[in-house]
Amino acid sequence: MIAAGALRAHSRYMSCKNENKLVAIVDDDDAVRGTLKELLRSAGYASQTFESAEDFLGSGHQQETACLITDIRMPGMSGLELQARLNAERCRIPTIFITAHGDEQMRFQALRAGAVEFLPKPFDDNVLIESVRAALNR
Amino acid sequence: MNHSETMKEAAGSARSIAQRYTLAVGTVAVAFGLASAFTHFKLPQPFSAFALSAITITFWYAGTAPGVLAAVLSSIVRDYLFEPNTSTQSRLLFDLVFLVFALLMTQVLRHRNQLEVRVAERTAELTQTNDNLKREIAKHNQVEAELRLSQAYLDEAQRLSHTGSWAWSPPPGDIRYWSDECYRVQGFDPKGGQPSFDEFLQTVHPDDQARIVEVIDRAVREKEEFEFDYRIILPGGEVRDARSLGHPILGPTGDLVEYIGTIIDVTDRRQAEKERERLREAQADLAHVSRMTAMGELTASLAHEVNQPITAAVNGASTCVRWLTREEPDLAEAREAALGVIRNAKRAADIINRIRSISKKGESKRQLADVNELIQEMIALLRSEARRYSVAVRTELNAELPKVMADPVQVQQVLMNLIMNGIDAMKNVDQERELTIRTQWADNRMLLISVSDTGVGLPPQQEDRIFDAFFTTKSHGIGMGLRISRSIVESHGGRLWAADNSPHGASFHFTLSTPVEVGA
Repeated sequence: MIAAGALRAHSRYMSCKNENKLVAIVDDDDAVRGTLKELLRSAGYASQTFESAEDFLGSGHQQETACLITDIRMPGMSGLELQARLNAERCRIPTIFITAHGDEQMRFQALRAGAVEFLPKPFDDNVLIESVRAALNR
Repeated sequence: MNHSETMKEAAGSARSIAQRYTLAVGTVAVAFGLASAFTHFKLPQPFSAFALSAITITFWYAGTAPGVLAAVLSSIVRDYLFEPNTSTQSRLLFDLVFLVFALLMTQVLRHRNQLEVRVAERTAELTQTNDNLKREIAKHNQVEAELRLSQAYLDEAQRLSHTGSWAWSPPPGDIRYWSDECYRVQGFDPKGGQPSFDEFLQTVHPDDQARIVEVIDRAVREKEEFEFDYRIILPGGEVRDARSLGHPILGPTGDLVEYIGTIIDVTDRRQAEKERERLREAQADLAHVSRMTAMGELTASLAHEVNQPITAAVNGASTCVRWLTREEPDLAEAREAALGVIRNAKRAADIINRIRSISKKGESKRQLADVNELIQEMIALLRSEARRYSVAVRTELNAELPKVMADPVQVQQVLMNLIMNGIDAMKNVDQERELTIRTQWADNRMLLISVSDTGVGLPPQQEDRIFDAFFTTKSHGIGMGLRISRSIVESHGGRLWAADNSPHGASFHFTLSTPVEVGA
């Protein structure tokens, strides 16, 4: 039993090493979420969308996630809280923040916590795609 | 007539009969006495003359039967007392004379009686006529008194309502009647007598004269009613607003007989209307300022709300370009992405329009409005604000409710104030933050709209003061939101009130009336 538990813990840790190529999108706005998924598809990347940080955490997909794109302000858990939570779980997923009203302090906090990019909405698709590519090729 | 009166009358008539016969005997006796006295002094024998006088007097005063008795007595007295030795022929001759005289007297008496009856009849008729006249005079006096009273009431009513009445024969006639109030309103001296039409026109503001003449001329031509507003310049120079109405009176053949009508001094009413209008404008200005203040507080949230569909549209456009610029362009995918751009751009435009319509300054326009729809729109606008403070917005809207007659922008302003207050009340509470908006039926065909929060609740001991102007518990805000919301709801015929929730939070309720018998 102990061995099995240790093995599961290990495999989860291993999964956070970005062995999978899944891109996760967390945004509470249907339209933003949907068009982001389509944008990535047109660039050749499959992605999975989540309505909230809680949904993402509850889905169990964080193990397979190689790149996380998340909004900051959302009902319930915010993007920054999600990042902190993942860091606490030792699951450092390269994270791209997209936000409509991010200030410098927020940007600094996000980048210090390991964010790979901090993009104001609306954003340049090339910058986003480059960031995703970089994250997946780590 | 009772028994004793009958007896009295019978006794009176018996006495009168006795008197009448006594008169016969008495006059004959007097005649006999006078004749004897004349004889004694050797004067010619005039008994017959005295006797005839006696018979005449008796007939006249005592009637036929005593008269006949006097004639018989006269014959007897002459035959047996005065001249007992006269011949039979002489006796018969005198008897005949008395008899004939008596007969003549009977005729005279009858004529006299007939005359008396006629006189009595005529007198009775005259008395009757006199009584009738008296009654009529009394009636006339009463009618006149009533008329005077009625006129006094009418005068007072005209004075109170600033409404004079007039009658006017169209040209070439002139003003026939001009009530006291007409003199007052039009600024005429009653001592000057009824004014002519030209004199009336001279008291009218020069700019209004031509129009009045035109309106009246047309009405007279068409034999129709007329109505016009005009200004009066009083002798002191003061300008008053007036309105006159005229109604044509047509003769049996349809010809125009005269106009009767009114002059109303509407200066005070106009003034009050202007003041009400100014007040309405001031209220609308205040409501607008209050809306703009609220929108100012929402700037960040509204910007976010617009930014989301724009972001989605930019994403879609980028996607579209990517599908088109691949080595093998995928037109179907590009088309799909482009459609998404259109959708999201429209959504952004909708939100901007909503913001604009709320920010717009304009006069209040009542129309049939779906309250549930107004609520949904307002929630869409305030979604980002709610999200910003982690407030969950819940709705319990009764979809069966009819539309209300209301100004949509003002109702949304009320909703905005209540929702923002609710969010504000929950900013600093740790428990669950939930805002619930409910619509349902209230009494008397009113709709009840409730906005409930789980915030700090109403300020203790100050529940009533929250609707006062400039009362606020917030560090920002000017304390006008609830005051204006209440005046908006009340101007729609509804009520706005607040209540504490159990175990925490507050609810604001307001009612709106639904139009009767109007299809939703």
